[in-house]
Amino acid sequence: MIDYSALLYDPIHAVLGVPATLTVGATEVALSVIDDIKPKVEASSGVQTRGVEPGAFARVPELNARGIAVDDCIGAVLAFNGRSWTVRNFDLIGNPNGEDAGEVRFLLKEAAVG
Amino acid sequence: MADVREDILARLLVVVAAIPNLRSSHRSNVDINETQLPAVVVLDGDEETNDSTDLSMRPANRPTVVQLTPGIMIVDQGELVGSALSVLRSELIKRVLTDTELNEQIVKTGRFGNGVIRYLGCQTDLGWARELHGALAMQFLFKYTLRPEQL
Repeated sequence: MIDYSALLYDPIHAVLGVPATLTVGATEVALSVIDDIKPKVEASSGVQTRGVEPGAFARVPELNARGIAVDDCIGAVLAFNGRSWTVRNFDLIGNPNGEDAGEVRFLLKEAAVG
Repeated sequence: MADVREDILARLLVVVAAIPNLRSSHRSNVDINETQLPAVVVLDGDEETNDSTDLSMRPANRPTVVQLTPGIMIVDQGELVGSALSVLRSELIKRVLTDTELNEQIVKTGRFGNGVIRYLGCQTDLGWARELHGALAMQFLFKYTLRPEQL
């Protein structure tokens, strides 16, 4: 069986990953994330609003190795590339090695100020 | 020349643009940016008459009654977007239904004529972008007299 973490995610994070800080409650850990902010258009009754959908990829094994379960991440604060975001939800992106060996795409929102 | 339809829509934009705390107001602009929120967009409305059932010998250029139903979109985003939309909705309804120029000079409601302004309702839309995104589509009805001779 191919080791997706060693052969796919680790090399990608080595090139595209940026250092991030994830704060879950009182626990703060460092990890690598890939910035995945996308354009987003919200359309209502013919009026469209252009904005962005902030997101970031992280490796589930790296999270687990730092004592963080993906399930605990909703409401956590993720800081990277000079901005802080709140994790509002996530998508698990598994691979043939299983979901615990895959990636998670954090769906982010602007962190509350103050 | 007097085009009541255009007078209504132009005045609507003035009225809604005066709502406090808006960042932008638009006429028929259907492509806005999150940096312009909260925003209000006045959309050019559909019109109807009852003339399809009028097969009398009435001259074609006689005045007729038109019902104009423009839409107004309120768009905002933020943690408390629901409350923010409610505040903007209240302001908008109050200002449109009580605006003196709209009521007395353009549509001519009440003792000024047989015009009518009614709030018909609204629909909401929510989604996620950078923050919680909300839109409120509001409909009003303006009944006015179309006078072809004055166009």
